[in-house]
Formats: sequence, C-alpha cells, structure tokens
Amino acid sequence: MKRLLLGLLLASPTLLFAQGSQVNTQSLKAVGMSGAGSALFIDESSIFYSPGALSKMDHNAISAGVSGIMYRSAFREANSMDVHHTKFKITPPFSVFATFGPKDTWWKAGLGIYTPFGGSVDWGDQWPGKYELNYLQMRAIYIQPTISFKLTENFGIGGGFIYNIGLVDLGRSIPLASADAASGKAELSGVGTGMGYNVGVHYHLENTIAISLSYRSKINTKLKDGDAEFTVPPALAASFPNTTFSAELPLPASFNIGVSFPVSERVDIAADGTFLGYDIYKELVFDYKDNTAVLQDTEQPKKYENAFSGKVGVNYKTTDKLALRAGAGYVFTPVQANYVSPETPDNNRVMASAGFTYEVNDKWSLTGAYVFQHLLKRSVTSAVTNLSGTYVTNIHAPGISLTYKW
Amino acid sequence: MKKIFNYNKFLLLAAASTAFLFSCKPELDAVKPSAGEANFSKYISIGNSLTAGFADGGLYLEGQQVAYPNLIAAQLKHTGGSDFKSPFFTEAQRNGSGYLRLKDLVNGQPVMENVTTELAIRGANPAGKPLYTKYTEEINNLGVPGMRLDMAFAPGIGTVQGNPFFERLLADNTPGTYRYFDFATTKDHTFFSFWLGNNDILGYATNGAVTVPGDGTTVLTSTATFNQLYNSFIDALTLKQQKGIVATIPDVTAVPYFTTVTRKALLAAASAAAGSELKDIYITSSKGMRPATDNDMFVLPFSSAGLLGKPSPGNPAPYGLHPSNPVESKYVLDTDEIAVIKQRTTEFNDIIKKAAERKGLAIADAHAYLNRVKSPGIVYNGLSVNANFITGNAFSLDGIHLTPMGNALIANLFIDAINATYNSSITKIDATQYRGVKFP
Repeated sequence: MKRLLLGLLLASPTLLFAQGSQVNTQSLKAVGMSGAGSALFIDESSIFYSPGALSKMDHNAISAGVSGIMYRSAFREANSMDVHHTKFKITPPFSVFATFGPKDTWWKAGLGIYTPFGGSVDWGDQWPGKYELNYLQMRAIYIQPTISFKLTENFGIGGGFIYNIGLVDLGRSIPLASADAASGKAELSGVGTGMGYNVGVHYHLENTIAISLSYRSKINTKLKDGDAEFTVPPALAASFPNTTFSAELPLPASFNIGVSFPVSERVDIAADGTFLGYDIYKELVFDYKDNTAVLQDTEQPKKYENAFSGKVGVNYKTTDKLALRAGAGYVFTPVQANYVSPETPDNNRVMASAGFTYEVNDKWSLTGAYVFQHLLKRSVTSAVTNLSGTYVTNIHAPGISLTYKW
Repeated sequence: MKKIFNYNKFLLLAAASTAFLFSCKPELDAVKPSAGEANFSKYISIGNSLTAGFADGGLYLEGQQVAYPNLIAAQLKHTGGSDFKSPFFTEAQRNGSGYLRLKDLVNGQPVMENVTTELAIRGANPAGKPLYTKYTEEINNLGVPGMRLDMAFAPGIGTVQGNPFFERLLADNTPGTYRYFDFATTKDHTFFSFWLGNNDILGYATNGAVTVPGDGTTVLTSTATFNQLYNSFIDALTLKQQKGIVATIPDVTAVPYFTTVTRKALLAAASAAAGSELKDIYITSSKGMRPATDNDMFVLPFSSAGLLGKPSPGNPAPYGLHPSNPVESKYVLDTDEIAVIKQRTTEFNDIIKKAAERKGLAIADAHAYLNRVKSPGIVYNGLSVNANFITGNAFSLDGIHLTPMGNALIANLFIDAINATYNSSITKIDATQYRGVKFP
C-alpha cells in the first residue's frame, strides 16, 4: 500500500519553440512577400536575413517594428460534435535593427534585437487535451551583433553572434480531482538562454540578379531554475512540492537561399527557400529539482524531421515614394502526424501576404505588411497521449515598422 | 501622389480586415450523428449497480447522474433519442444510501469515512435493513444495485424483505410476485442495453467464495441456470425485433477490490508492526489451512477490518500470522477458488456472446476492456487509466464500481460497439471532463 501513489505519475509537460510558433516578422518588407526577399532587400534587416548584404548598404539606418500575431486553432476530437477553439490572443513580436559604420566603405556593423519565435495558445481547461496542455506562451528574443564586409563591389560576406533569451509560461491540468471535482494544475514558467551565430554571403549583378545564402546555427536554449507550481488537493500537496525545473530546447539550424531579379524597371521578383534542420529535436526532457514518488522527471518523444519552406514575392515600386508587394509561400511541417501536440498543432501551411513601404521623406519611411497563414486540416492520433482528432489553424499577422535613415 | 497612397492603403486595409473577419476563426465540420439501423427513440438500460451509477460503496445522486447509460443517452439525443429518466435521489437527499469518502492520506494510506447526511432512507425493513425513498415514476435507467440474473426471475425481490433498491422503484401495492424480469420487459422500448450477471459471480467472490446459508446474494449461479435465464431475458427484450447491446462480465482479478491487498503488502505491514521480518500469512483455503501464496487474493475490506496480527476472541494466537488462527475464508480467494470463478466467468461470457450473436445484438466486451485497463493500462487523452486502487482513475473507492471517468470510458465502449454493429454514428463522450477519485 506504500506504493499507492506511484500511479499518479505525471505525464510529460509539453514545451517547445516549434515551427508552429515560427512566424518570421523580422522585416515587414519580407513579411509583405511571405518571407521572400533575402536577396532583394539591402537594408538594416539584412542583419537577420542576409548578413552578407549588410556591407552593401550606402547609408545607416535604424528601424523598429511590431507585429500582432493572432494564432487561432480549432480542434475536434474524433467522433465528437464539439469543436474547441483557442482563445483569442495577440502575440506582439518586435524587432529593432540598427546599422553603424562609415558610408561608402568596405564594412558595416549592425545590431539586431528580434523575436524569431513566439506564440500564445490557450485551449483552456475544458477541452479533451487539457491533461496535455491548457495554455502556452513563449517568446524567444535574439540579440545579434553583426559585422559585414564587402569583398568586391558585388560580393559581401557577413556574420553575427546570437544571444538568445527564451521565456515560457505553460499550464496543464493534472488528473487529481479535489473535493469540488476540479482537476489539479501544473504551471511552469522560466527563462532560458542560448548562443549561436549566423553567417551569409550576398552576390549581385547590377539590374540582373541577386543571390543570398545564409546559415543560422542551431541554438540550444537552456532553461534553468524555472518555476514549477502545482495546485493539487491538500492531501497530496507533499507529493507535489513547488519546485524548479530545467529543460533544454533546441532551436533548429536553418539554411536559406534567396534569389531576386528585376522583371521590369519597377518590378522585382524574389524567391527564398529555407531548410530547417529540425531532426535535432528528438525528445524533450524535464528535470525537476525535487522529485517525489509522484513527481518524476519526464521524457517526451518529439521525433521532428527536417523541413523545407519556399516563398515567392513581388515588389512593385509604383512611384519613388510607394512600393507595394505581395507574396505566397508553402511550408512543410517538421512534425510527424502522430507527434502533433496542442502547443503547436502543426501541419503544412500555405501563406499569402501583402505589404507596402512609403517613403515619407528622405529620412523616414513606413512599412506595413499583412500575412495570413493557413495550417492545413490534419487528423492525428498522438502516439504520446492517444488524443485523436482534427486540428486546423489560421494565423493572422499584421505589422508595421518605422525606419530612420541617415 | 498622396492620393494614390491613401487609396492603396485603403484597399490594403479593406482586404486585410475582410480576410480577418472571414477566416480568423478556423472552421471544422462537425460529424453528423445518425442512428443507423437502430431506433433510439426509447432506450432502456437493464443491469445492476454499475448500470444504476453505484459508486464509492453507495448509490448517490452524483453517481446516478454519470451512470454509463445516462452518458450514452445524452449522446443518443443527437440521434433521435428521447428523454432518459432515472430514479434520481432529490437534491435534499442527494447522498442516497450514503457512500465512502476519502478523508485523508496518511503515509500514502487511504483513510475513509462514511457520508451519513442528506440520506434517502425512509425507514427500515423488519430485519432492520434500510429502505429508501421511493421513486415510482416511469424510468429508462432500470439499473438496480445488487440485482442478479437469478434474482431477476425470483419473486419477493421487490418487497421490503428483498432488494431495497428495487423495492423503491415499485408502487406500494405491487404484488410480491412481481419480478425484475416483469419490470424490465414491459417498458415498450425500442433499444436496450443489458449488463446483468456480474453479481451472479461477484456476490460469491466478494465474500471470499463463501456462500452464506440463506443469503442468496452469495450464491454462485450455475452455468445451466445462467444459460436458461439469460436467453429467456434476451428473448423477451427482442420480442418485437428490438435492437440492443449486451455486455460481458469482467474478470474479478481485474478490479482493485481483489488486487490491492496482497500477501506482500500484508507481510510488510505485519513485519513493520512486529519489528521482525515475518515470512507467512496463514489462510483458510478451500482445502484447509495453509500459508498464503502470491496467487491468493485478499478482499479489500480485510485491510480495513484491522484483524491481522491481533488475537481473536477465544484464540490468543495472532490472527493470520499463526497456523492456529488463520485468516478466515471469507477474506481470501485462494487459487482454487479463483480458478473456479474464472472458469465460470468464461462460461457466462460465452453464453452472453452466443445470445448476442443469435439475436444480432452488439456486444460491449467489458471483460476484455477491463483486462486491458488492468494490464498494460490505457492512456486516454494524456491521462493514465489503470486498475490501481484510488489512483487508477477507473475505479471508485469501493474497488469494484466505476468513477465518473470510468463510466464515461465504459459508455464509449458501448457506443463503439453500437456504432460497429448498427452502422450508426453516435458521438463519443469526452471522458476527460469526468473525474476519477476525489481527494481531500
């Protein structure tokens, strides 16, 4: 009878920075073209998209932008009439890019602070997957000093160091009913850090073609001393001490190829292909500082696969003042069907976008963009939880940024 | 120039807000429930305590409300099912017969208490046993705690001397000859579920395979009797070609009532109390006194009876720890008794399956399902369901009857079987919305 409580083992909490939360909004010019344009745009956001292009800037600039990502998922359990929607939440990823250095020389330095991953899903505690997830909020903030060199007029090379701060906050139900029949709760929150780098080259022929190659390393974000708080019936409180946890979240390496070419004096077309090295994400391990018979460390299989996305866009300079853009893309998911989880009910996605840049004057410009992503409907049975049903997700992300040039 | 900008911006905004309005919330088509070849316009459920919603050692309102037939009926409403009436206790008498509640956990050991307020006890029969507040309106959930197949055909069960849970459903002037069989087969139903027969084995097994003379609830029904009565009952229920579902009888070794108190656990507790390592528990087996093996099973109440190691009246030897004072037979299912019970269960289930096949009825194989719950256990929507006492989520505090979550899972087992047999599309229940055991 001593072993009575062993059966209360917690299933693994789920947590990751996944493709599902990756909505790239670093440059709203690129957002306007669904993420294409790494070769086309030579500006301060090249710090992120194409560090080799940075040295080709003929001025300095600082820009700040913010987007409102609305991530909306729906789920219907197999053979059920009830459709569950995530609550309406807006995640505001931001980005700040600044360049430094003398004009018309062979080098340029820059600093980027941006949020490449971030999302918020809140399924509540009344849906069939509540024992896997109630809500998850996360943000990863990258701080990236970058330097870029022009080897020839047409060929630039650059690289940056990335310091990453990741914030997570998640909650899930625990199957322990209290006297009022309510489930228990686990709430985990923490901050992690990691380091990585990006490098890239940019080559262009005037009025013909531009090519950008860039590589961003994987970043292993180490979360230490996160807070783990449990709400359980009082008789079980000793088995669920509020404690701390550590975990490691690998963010994948990516390799991006971008090309752009003019089709007329005012119209450019750009295309980007991105490979994500996501097979590093094999499992998620949670290490609780205080273990009890009930509260054990957990390992959850993830078994991600490498993935690819392709994006094309068009940039139309209607006048010297106003550029309009549109784009479309397709993203292959790294998540296998039986490892889909409610934190990022991922699937292949299609996206479409529109955007503009308006040059207010020589110094100031304003860029806006809107991207819509539709994650295709996916019917899955989780190999981890046996939750069986259909997910579908729409993501809306309008954004705006302001640039000052000198 | 300025004009163009404004115009374009306006277009963009318009396009964006339109896209937002129409597709912000993703849509999923709901499944369309259908009755298939069955007609659910009047569903009745026939059975025992499991069907009535008995849990935690008692029949009380919360358990009645989540009885598996009630959960099934709620889903049937989407396929033309009508109101499903149950003999609920009133809110003022919500604790019905009273039930067990977990009071505390002391070193991981459960401490229980009886709930004795808001009861529905209206008096006592001549033998002093409680009688419950009557409910004599028309009902669909005909589950009666304690009902057995043999008793369903016996007269007198509906009287104050009989089964008080059946008696409470009958009007005062009901003749003593009125049987449960008569009660269940005159409801003009279009669809039925039938899960009866468990107690024809369980009553004997829970008493340690000891039949108390004069106590019909402790008899092990013979296979021949079971065969005859089961088929008679099914024939009567399908007289107008009604469709229905029957369920098999669970293995007694799949419920915590028999699997929680083990020889090892008893020895560990006794050794700790004695301060020295004890080697044997002595039991009264069907072949006489002998040391218990790990294959013998002790019933759950033996743990709370607190007899082990204590002198008995007229016998100073420590109870169960000395060959001269072995554990009484009523607390133990020895290996021979288990074999008999398992064999009988198999025979009964064969009869159930044959009867279902003969009539084209659906079969909810509770025997197979609960064996799977016991080993290896199931993972349902991220939560672990197994046959562990208190923590396994499936079984309530009496170790035999289901928790609300267990009822929801069994209801889904029934629904799956109905859908498979009758080409229907009854929607499933989200069992995560139902609790396991309540903790203090």
